[in-house]
Amino acid sequence: MEDRQTRERPPGTRDAERGVAVRLAGITKRFGEFVAVDDLNLDIYEGEFFSLLGPSGCGKTTTLRMIAGFEEPTEGEISVAGEEVQGVPPYRRPVNTVFQSYAIFPHLNVFDNVAFGLRRAKVPRDEVASRVTDACEMVQLAGFEKRKPGMLSGGQQQRVALARALVNRPKVLLLDEPLGALDLKLRKEMQLELKSLQEEVGITFVYVTHDQEEALTMSDRIAVMNEGKVQQLAGPTTLYETPANRFVAGFIGQTNVFSGTVEAADGDRVTLRTREGSRVEAVVRGETVPKESEETHVAVRPEKVRFGESGDNVCAAEVKQIVYLGASTQYIVRLEGGGKLVLYQQNAFDATGPSEGDGVSVAWDAQNCLVLED
Amino acid sequence: MRERVAKGWSAGLAALLAPVTLWLGAFFLIPLLFIVAFSFGTSEVYGGITLGFNPGNYLKVFDPLYLKIIVRSLGIAALTTLICFLLGYPLAYFIVFKGRRWRNALVLLVMVPFWTSLLIRAYAWVVILGGNGIANKTLQFLGITDGPVNLIFTPEAVLMGMTYSYLPFMVLPLYAALEKFDVRLKEAGKDLGASRWQTFLRVTFPLSLPGVIAGSILVFIPSAGEFVIPDLLGGSQTVMTGNLIQNQFLQSRDWAFGSALSVLLAVLLLGAIMFYIRRVGTDKLEGV
Ligand SMILES: Nc1ncnc2c1ncn2[C@@H]1O[C@H](COP(=O)(O)OP(=O)(O)OP(=O)(O)O)[C@@H](O)[C@H]1O
Ligand SMILES: [Mg+2]
Repeated sequence: MEDRQTRERPPGTRDAERGVAVRLAGITKRFGEFVAVDDLNLDIYEGEFFSLLGPSGCGKTTTLRMIAGFEEPTEGEISVAGEEVQGVPPYRRPVNTVFQSYAIFPHLNVFDNVAFGLRRAKVPRDEVASRVTDACEMVQLAGFEKRKPGMLSGGQQQRVALARALVNRPKVLLLDEPLGALDLKLRKEMQLELKSLQEEVGITFVYVTHDQEEALTMSDRIAVMNEGKVQQLAGPTTLYETPANRFVAGFIGQTNVFSGTVEAADGDRVTLRTREGSRVEAVVRGETVPKESEETHVAVRPEKVRFGESGDNVCAAEVKQIVYLGASTQYIVRLEGGGKLVLYQQNAFDATGPSEGDGVSVAWDAQNCLVLED
Repeated sequence: MRERVAKGWSAGLAALLAPVTLWLGAFFLIPLLFIVAFSFGTSEVYGGITLGFNPGNYLKVFDPLYLKIIVRSLGIAALTTLICFLLGYPLAYFIVFKGRRWRNALVLLVMVPFWTSLLIRAYAWVVILGGNGIANKTLQFLGITDGPVNLIFTPEAVLMGMTYSYLPFMVLPLYAALEKFDVRLKEAGKDLGASRWQTFLRVTFPLSLPGVIAGSILVFIPSAGEFVIPDLLGGSQTVMTGNLIQNQFLQSRDWAFGSALSVLLAVLLLGAIMFYIRRVGTDKLEGV
C-alpha cells in the first residue's frame, strides 16, 4: 500500500510537466438514441498506465475504438500526441490495439503476424527480422515464430497480439480486456508481466477492464466508468480509500453501506440514524459536509470492522454465515437494530472466531467510515 | 471402454453411410467402370461394342481436329471461371459486408435462376439474342446498329451463357467463406497500418481462398463438360468436348471413342484441379 501511494500522481503536481498522450475533450458517442459514452473529458499522460474500469456495457470498448479510429465520436475532440485525429483513418494514427478477442491473423505464422505492421510501414527487411525477434523475446515467445496461431494456447495468442502491437512502438497502446480469456493463475502472471513490460518500454497504456482487482494492481490512474460517464478518476489507493460516490464504493472492493438521515453534524463528525434505527458515527473526508436531517450514506469496508466492544460504533449482532476465504474469513452478521454487515478477519495462527448463530459484538471506528453521495 | 465407444460410432456411421454408398456404387462407380471398359473396346458398324484392349480410341484423340476442340473447351471453361470470379467476388463481398439486413434476401436472389431448368434458361437466351430478339431490337432502337446483327452462335454468346449459368456456383462458396470471416481481423489490419486495399490483399482475400478454390472448381468442372449451352448458343461455331462426346453417343454411335473422350476429359480435369489446388491452395489453406 505504501509504495502505491508514491506511485500515484495527484493531478496538478508532477502531471503539469508531463506531456499529454491522449486527450478526450467532451466526447459523446450515440448509437441512434442510445448514449454509449456521455461527455467524457480525460487527459492521459505520456508513459502512464491508465485504466478504464467499469461494468459490462458502460462504454469502455466504445471509448477505445474512438481513440483507435474505428468509431468517430458524435461530439467532442480526440487528440493523440498533441494532434487532433478527427477523420484520420485507423492506419494513420500513432496507436495500436490489442483486441478483446486478440484478432490474430489465422493464415499467418507468429513471425508474420508480428511483422505485419512493420512491413506495412516499409521497414527494411533486416530491421523487421531483428525487431520481430526482439518483440517475440520480450513476450517470451522466442522459438514460436514459425507456428500458426491455431497451434498456440490462449495465453500464447494473447502474447502474440501484444508483440504484434508493441513491435510498432506506438505512442499509445490500447488494450481491450486482453487478459479476459485467461485462467486466474495465468492472468495474475500476465498482469505482472504486462506491468513490468510497460515500465520497460515506457509506452502509454490505455487498459480496459471490468476487473477491479486487475485495475488496482496495474494502473497508475483509473477512470471508473458507469453508463458512459466517468464516476471517479484517481489512483488506486485514493479510489479504494476515498471513493467519490456509492457506485465507486460498491464497484471497487466490497463495502457495507448504511443509508439514513443525518442526526447530528459536528464539524467533520456526523451521526447517521439508519433506516433500521441504529446509529452510525462517521468522519467526513470529502468536500461536502452533509447537514442535519439530510439523507446520506455511510460506508465502511469489511476489513475495517472487528469483533469487540470498544470503538466509535459498537453493535450487538448475530453471526449468520461464515465463508472461509483462505487468508481471511468472511462473516456475515445480522445487526441487532436490523440490517446486515460483512466483516473480514485475518486468519492468524490460533485465532478462533465465533460460530454461526453466536451472539457477538462488532465494532468499527468513525474515521474508517466514509460519507458518500448518491 | 474407449474401444467400445469407437465401435459404436463406426457401426452407426456405417449404417448412415450405407445408402449413399449403395447409391454411388450403383449409379456412379459401376457406370464409370463401364465407360472405362468401353473406352478400350471397338465400336461395330451398327452401333454395338466389342470389349477388349484397343488403344486406338485414345490415339484418335490426337487428331488435330479433336485436340483443338478439347483445348478450346478447357480454354472456355477457364475463361468462364475467371469471369465468374471477377464478377462474383465483388458481389459476394458486397452481400456479406454491406448487405446488412438484406443479406439473406440477396443470397436468395443469387439462387433465383436455379428455380427454372438450365434448358429453359438457355432457350430464353436464344430468344433474347436471336435476329428479332430484344437485344437486337434494343440496339436498333438506340441507333447503335442499323439492322439485325449476329449476336448468337458466337463464342462470346457461349461465354456469356456459361457465365450466366455458373455465376451462382462461384458466388455461393465465396459468400460462405466471407461470411465466416471475422471483421475484427480487418480492423486489426487497419490498426497495424494497412490501408483498405492492403488489408483486403493481405487479410481478407487470403482468408477467403478456400471459397475461391471451391467456387473455381464448381464452375470449371461443369463448364468444361458443358454441351447444352454451346449447342444452343454456339451452333456449329463453338463445338465443345461435351458436344463431341454427345455426338459420339447419340449420332455417330461410336461409343468406344465417346467413352475414351469422357475418360480423357475426366483425367484432364482432375489433373488441372490438383495442379490448381497445389498452386493456390495448400500452404495458404493450412491453419485456417
Ligand atoms: N455499433 C453499435 N451499435 C449500437 N450499440 C452499440 C454499438 N456498439 C456498442 N453499443 C452499445 O454501447 C454500449 C457500450 O458498449 P461497449 O462495447 O463500449 O461496452 P463495454 O464497456 O466495452 O462492455 P464489455 O465490458 O461488456 O466489453 C453497450 O450498451 C452496447 O450495446
Ligand atoms: Mg468491451
